[in-house]
Amino acid sequence: MRDRAVRYVGIPAGTRGAAGDRLFGLVTAGAAWFVLLLLAGAAVSMAWGGRLAFETFGLGFVTGQEWNVVEAKFGALVPIYGTLVTSAIALVIAVPVSIGIALFLTDIAPRWTRGPIAIAIELLAAVPSIIYGMWGLFVFAPFMAAHIEPWLNDHLGDKAVIGPLFSGPPIGIGMLTAGIVLGIMIIPFIASVARDVFNAVPPALKEAAVALGSTRWEILSRVTLPYTRSAIVGAIFLGLGRALGETMAVTFVLGNAHDLSASLLMPSNSIAAAIANEFTEADTNLYRSSLIALAFLLFVVTFIVLTAAKLMLARMDRSFGRTH
Amino acid sequence: MNDAAATLRIETPADAHADGPVKIDIRALDFFYGKSKALNAVDLAVPAHAVTAIIGPSGCGKSTLLRTINRIFEIYPDQNAEGEIVIDGENVLDRRYKLSALRRKVGMVFQKPTPFASSIRNNVAFALAYYERLPRAELNDRIEDALRQAALWDEVKDKLNASALSLSGGQQQRLCIARTIAVQPGIVLLDEPTSALDPISTAKIEELIHEMRTRFTIVIVTHNMQQAARVSQKTAFFHLGNLVEFDDTSRIFTNPRVDRTRDYITGRYG
Repeated sequence: MRDRAVRYVGIPAGTRGAAGDRLFGLVTAGAAWFVLLLLAGAAVSMAWGGRLAFETFGLGFVTGQEWNVVEAKFGALVPIYGTLVTSAIALVIAVPVSIGIALFLTDIAPRWTRGPIAIAIELLAAVPSIIYGMWGLFVFAPFMAAHIEPWLNDHLGDKAVIGPLFSGPPIGIGMLTAGIVLGIMIIPFIASVARDVFNAVPPALKEAAVALGSTRWEILSRVTLPYTRSAIVGAIFLGLGRALGETMAVTFVLGNAHDLSASLLMPSNSIAAAIANEFTEADTNLYRSSLIALAFLLFVVTFIVLTAAKLMLARMDRSFGRTH
Repeated sequence: MNDAAATLRIETPADAHADGPVKIDIRALDFFYGKSKALNAVDLAVPAHAVTAIIGPSGCGKSTLLRTINRIFEIYPDQNAEGEIVIDGENVLDRRYKLSALRRKVGMVFQKPTPFASSIRNNVAFALAYYERLPRAELNDRIEDALRQAALWDEVKDKLNASALSLSGGQQQRLCIARTIAVQPGIVLLDEPTSALDPISTAKIEELIHEMRTRFTIVIVTHNMQQAARVSQKTAFFHLGNLVEFDDTSRIFTNPRVDRTRDYITGRYG
């Protein structure tokens, strides 16, 4: 490694510069390895902390839906389900809105409004999640209970396939509300990356599409999005990563109920929210171990989702030759 | 038809309207980038089924003129054109003139190849899909036809589903030409179509332009005066936003009437 660093820069060994470069190379390599070490350390210590739960329940810890503190039975299916469903709702809401914002800012908005709107969106990312949680609990959840959810009950609740998703009591607290709040929280992340990516599309490419008679929508769907495909998927997964691990805002509006329900209106739980809520109460070794095991599962779920995204991207790139 | 047009002698640019069947009649055209004027009272009658070259030093308004003919400048809010461009009897600069109709009639190929990040087939079918609902077999015929006309068919017929981005620069530019002529526009605008290409690809495209002349009215902007001399029948020389001289290409390059034209083609500036 020492040779490589010296040869790379092309300074003869033995000079002062070469020694400095060697040191610099070691420091940067150390920084890179430190991250990997940290990641492995976190994974191992969570797995170790959760070993009691895994030993006691085996695979049942992942597939079990019961989370009973009194009887000391712990299964993580409900929090896993809640995490995935709220994140999915968040993406369904955030992706079109973010792409709309980014497109408006790059192509449609008058030039002088672009800066202020972009800054406002980035400020949205700086709002602490506890604020979103409070707003969700005191403002948005009552609004959902009074207006949106009764409407969903009436209009979608009796439909054939999607009906069960939208039936149940309109109490405002639940997976749908949590998902929407999460969606609002990740919009700025997706939108600001998407804006940078859209700005990087060569104007000649858009002009070529216009010259062929494309409308704005056709330019977006057939030129801009295909051209920026991999970067946009990256932006979406940046948002998804945040949604999966978001704790505070979700804890406020999700309801913390360990019940598996088909209805999006029903309270549920997420991994992060369960840990945040119950850590102070975990008075037995098994209870504490189960919570740490939950944390390990969140780690695994996030890892699986992000790996799946990378694989998907690699496949898309292969089938289209290249993207950038 | 061309030869007939070529035998007519034009005395001054103002008399250009008298020449042959006119496809694009540009009248008193002014163009503004914000407040700065890029074209100044341009009158130009582009003859049908011929290649008209537009030459001139950088910033003289050549590309601007091209971008006005298909109104592509309108996607930028601070650009504005005044005057008339009459195609097939209608003023296309009229706000009421439908853009989709205009762009079906007027195709454009740009300096750098601009293939879309999709398959070769999809690139050619791109505009066809807007304008015509074709059964699959007919669509394939039209794609093949366009690729043949663009002299690209033999090179890509076995890989129509491959990415357009995997083609070489010259092939990409011919794909862009195929994409443009697939919808059978009457007019094809070429904005320095070979400036990003190697000499062999350039020669192929020039040959292609020469063949296309019988089916389309072609306006080509070029920095390369040899190219203008090789491919065009008419040449317009622009300088500082003004049309200085418009005449048969042979005349412009051998015996121009205006001193500024002579200075430019003999390399004294530009």
